[in-house]
Amino acid sequence: MKLTKGILLGSGILFIAIQVIRPVRNQNSQDLSTDISSVVIIPDTVLTLLKDACYDCHSNNTNYPWYSNIQPVGWLMAHHIKEAGSELKFSDFGSYSQRKQLSKLEGIGNSIEDDIMPPMYYKIMHRSAQLSTAEKLSLIKWVQQSMDSLSIDR
Amino acid sequence: MKNLILRFAVVVTILASCNSNSNNPSDKHGSLNRPVSYSRNENSGTSTTKDEIDIFSIKEIVSQYMRISKGLADDNGNDAASGGKALVVSIDKTRTVSLTTENLKIWADISADAKEMAEHIGENPDNIGHQREHFVILSKDIYDLVKTFGSDQVLYKVFDSMSNEGKGGFWLSETKEFKNPYMGKAMLTSGSIQEEIRKK
Repeated sequence: MKLTKGILLGSGILFIAIQVIRPVRNQNSQDLSTDISSVVIIPDTVLTLLKDACYDCHSNNTNYPWYSNIQPVGWLMAHHIKEAGSELKFSDFGSYSQRKQLSKLEGIGNSIEDDIMPPMYYKIMHRSAQLSTAEKLSLIKWVQQSMDSLSIDR
Repeated sequence: MKNLILRFAVVVTILASCNSNSNNPSDKHGSLNRPVSYSRNENSGTSTTKDEIDIFSIKEIVSQYMRISKGLADDNGNDAASGGKALVVSIDKTRTVSLTTENLKIWADISADAKEMAEHIGENPDNIGHQREHFVILSKDIYDLVKTFGSDQVLYKVFDSMSNEGKGGFWLSETKEFKNPYMGKAMLTSGSIQEEIRKK
C-alpha cells in the first residue's frame, strides 16, 4: 500500500515537473511567395479540406488544440509535426523543384486514395479530418488537375 | 470529457506502436553517411587513380534500380527494400565534380527525388503496394537520368496501362523479356515495349 502511494506521488511530481519543458510552436508568419497557392489554383472547397485535414502538420502554421499544452502530448505533437513537415509542407511547396512538386502531388493523391493520410490518430482527435468519399474524390481530382497544369508549364 | 479521455487512450496506443517503426528511418539516415567514407577506404585499398574515382557514372544507380524492379516483380518486398537502401547509398556516393554547372543542376534535381523514392521503398519492406507507388515515380527519375546522362547498356522502356492502379505506368528493363514490377506474379508479362534506349 505504501509502495503504491509512493509510485502515485512520484509519477504525480514527475508529471508536474515535465510541464515546464515546452516545445517550440509551429507558428510562423505566412510567406505566400513559397506557398502552394503560388503555383497551383486551389478552389475554396479544396482549401477548406486541406486546412481541416492536412495543414496542422503539413504547413508552417499549426492550429493547436488546448491539450497540446499538456506534456508529453505537446512533445509527441512537435515530433510528428516535424516529421510531417520534412516529408511535405504546403507552405514551402512553391519552392520545390517542378519534379518534386509533381512527385509530391502524386504522393498526396496516393496517400488519400490508400487512406494513409490523414493518419488514424489524427482523425480520431479531429472529426473534420475524417474525409467522406466525395471529399476524397474532390481532393484527388484537384491533385490530378494540379499535376496536369504543372506538366503543361514544363 | 470521458469521451475525450477514451480517444486520448486510443491515440496514445497508436502512437506508441507507430514510434517503434519511426525509429528505424532515423537509424537509416545515420547509416547513410557511412558508405561515403566506406568507398574512400575501398578506393585507397585498390589501385584506382583519382581521375577514375571522379568519373561521373550512373551505372550503379541503374543496377540498384534493376534490383528493386526484380524484387517487386518477384512480389518480394524485402528484396525491393534492400535494393532501395542500396540505391540511396549509390546516389550519395556518386561523384559529380566532373559535371558542368547545368548538368549538376539537372543531377541535383533528379537525384534528390530519386533518393526520396528509394528511401520510401527501403523503409517499407512490408508494404509492397506502397513500394510500387514510389517505383512509378522512381522509374520516371531513372528514365530521365538515363536520357540525360546516357546508359552504358541497352535499356527498354516498358509501359503497361493496367499498372499503377489502372492509371498506367512504365519501368525500365534490361532485356526484351521483361517482368512487370507493378503486377508481380498476378500479371508478370503484362506490358509492351515503348522505347529502346540505345547505348551511349
